[in-house]
Amino acid sequence: MTDQSPIAKLRTMKLIRAFEEALAARPDHGFQLISSGEEAVAVGLCSALRPQDQLLTGGRSIGPAIARGVDPGRLMAELLGRSSGTNKGKGGRGHLSDPASGFFGAHAVVGGNISIAAGVALALQMTGKDAVAVILFGDGAFGAGALHESLNIAAAMKLPLLFVCNNNQLSVSTPRSSALAPARLSDLGAAFGIPACTVDGMDLDAVSAAISSALEHVRAGMGPAFVECISHRFASHSTTARETRSREELAEIKTFCPIVKQTGQLKVAGLLDDASEQELERSVAGMVEAALKFADASEMPRAEEAMQDVI
Amino acid sequence: MSSEPAPAMQKMFFREAIARAAREEMRDNPDILILGQDVGRFGGSYREFDGLFEEFGADRVRDMPVAEAAMVGVGVGAAAAGLRPLVSITYMDFMMLGFDPLINYGAKLRYKTGGQLTAPVVVKTTAGAKGQGVAHSQCIEAWLMSVPGLKVVAAATPADAYGLLKTALRSDGPVVYVDHKRLFPVAGEVPVEPVAIPFGSAKICRPGSDLTITTHSFMVRTALEAAKLLEKDGLSAEVIDLRSLAPLDMKTIVNSVARTGRLLTLEEGQITTGVGAEVVTRVIEHLGPIQFTRVGPLPAPISSNRILEAACLPDANRVANAARLLQSPKKLVSSY
Amino acid sequence: MLYKISVPQVADVEEIRVLEWHREVGEAVEPGDLLVELETHKAIVEVRAGQKGYLRKILADAGNWQAIGLPLAVLSESESDAVPDDAQALTDLPVDFEIT
Repeated sequence: MTDQSPIAKLRTMKLIRAFEEALAARPDHGFQLISSGEEAVAVGLCSALRPQDQLLTGGRSIGPAIARGVDPGRLMAELLGRSSGTNKGKGGRGHLSDPASGFFGAHAVVGGNISIAAGVALALQMTGKDAVAVILFGDGAFGAGALHESLNIAAAMKLPLLFVCNNNQLSVSTPRSSALAPARLSDLGAAFGIPACTVDGMDLDAVSAAISSALEHVRAGMGPAFVECISHRFASHSTTARETRSREELAEIKTFCPIVKQTGQLKVAGLLDDASEQELERSVAGMVEAALKFADASEMPRAEEAMQDVI
Repeated sequence: MSSEPAPAMQKMFFREAIARAAREEMRDNPDILILGQDVGRFGGSYREFDGLFEEFGADRVRDMPVAEAAMVGVGVGAAAAGLRPLVSITYMDFMMLGFDPLINYGAKLRYKTGGQLTAPVVVKTTAGAKGQGVAHSQCIEAWLMSVPGLKVVAAATPADAYGLLKTALRSDGPVVYVDHKRLFPVAGEVPVEPVAIPFGSAKICRPGSDLTITTHSFMVRTALEAAKLLEKDGLSAEVIDLRSLAPLDMKTIVNSVARTGRLLTLEEGQITTGVGAEVVTRVIEHLGPIQFTRVGPLPAPISSNRILEAACLPDANRVANAARLLQSPKKLVSSY
Repeated sequence: MLYKISVPQVADVEEIRVLEWHREVGEAVEPGDLLVELETHKAIVEVRAGQKGYLRKILADAGNWQAIGLPLAVLSESESDAVPDDAQALTDLPVDFEIT
């Protein structure tokens, strides 16, 4: 994402929403984790990153990948299993990877990418690159030993690593309060002596500001930082998981929509009006259509490709 | 046939062979670094990294907290991002903590990214029973042989420890390099000329004609002792040191068994789904039915109690007995 | 009377590398003198004389290897005792050894 203007950021949030909705509407959508409601986290985070930085995520990867600038066509192709996808159709959503775009990759094991990200940060540090690694994980990964071990190592070695916890307050069916002892996940930062904060993940500007501030610390070589974004996901955990919240709860949650919020703010600021909003919608719809078209025109891998790139 | 002069050799301890390979490769390639417990000033639990901290410094020889899961993950991630880490896991038992990053990420990285990324990481670990108890004695290399994308090697001599580690540090994907507690007291001749030993190459360390013994790591020494005992009975055992478990050198093994007609597999790890089970199966796939037996430890945890440890582990006598039983043409030999 | 020094029986060691001789052939040796440093796979062993004598013959030079229990050198009580070819049959000189 090179254009950081408010309109561009809004467009990206709308693109994520429209892209995921179009994907979920397909009969061949496969096993997907949708991030509707969490767009401000992805866009707020990625808008602060530079081209050389590397972002690693867990399994809810589509929004962050789009926000990072992965080509929507190659992304859709990967999600639909085409060999023209970013991973030749072999990774899917759980392992999306486009290091050339600064999206080092998703990894489908909960918490499994955290120590990997610390390793990427170590490589950046040792090769003297002016870049940072970022690991985006959910509250579901917060209990994993890998997080605590990696925080310790990153802090002790002053690795250029930003920990971003997207706390959407639910791990499939388990509320944060049942699974995790700390009420404020960013409190973990103090245990390792690193700067940490908690922000409203439904507020794009708040996320952007917190991430930028944290990145200043990390880029200055002062070691890792931790940002917790409190968010809500509008859909169930995955396309196969049952919804656990009531209709009333969901209706309330949707009133926090980050896209609606940002749209309202830009209109008040005079940066957006109904006409330009519609133009944005058309533009986004066009991008999604183009992505679907690219994917649908692409081949599935041949069976022989099952034995390629094994070793 | 021209006669070449024998290559110049230098005798050294097993640990010195490891340190030499690491030193040479680290001088050659600034991307190589070592991560582990007690690897820095301490030089490694077996002094296998002696001198490396002094030469290469704290950046390239790093002491890590006891956190094998994250340490392996950091090594794998750093490899994916362009470095060449050697992650040292002092006891193979604790490799299990690092299985997720090594197997779920590292071994699958090339495949899952469609060839965009790969993780050239060496996980070096010390296996084997030597009086340290149930959780500090295991040989679990057989568990790793079946992981697509993972290479597994095990040296039994200082020369192979040296040559295989050089190759490991030049590989472009993850390698598990297994040595053994009981090999560290061993000294042996190592070529003076810096030469790497390729993977997928077994070695006939004792030619023979009546049966083939395939084995690896410390058990190679046990097999050679057994072969000496068998010689007194007029039995000639050919001992093959596998050296490379994944990939296996089936050519050498099959050629040997085709000649001898009998196969005894020996390992310190469990024989259930063990290295021997795989070797036997593949040999039969190549040659058809043969006389075979698998020798391994008792199916029990290996206690630090010296009586119980000795009761569990294969020794030269047990191997020789199993080999003698194998000579009876009609009897099927069961391992338990 | 002739004596030999053998490689000490160090636990868990099969053979050693001779690192450095600290006495030369012909020199007198007093109790407590450091005779030779040996290297095992783990550590360095300092072998010190347990009684007086003269160092008469070194059987393994620095850089050479020797197995546990085998002879390293011949010593004699007097300077002029004839030194035999085979040292294995000689009595072991009392030594103190310290693993550093």
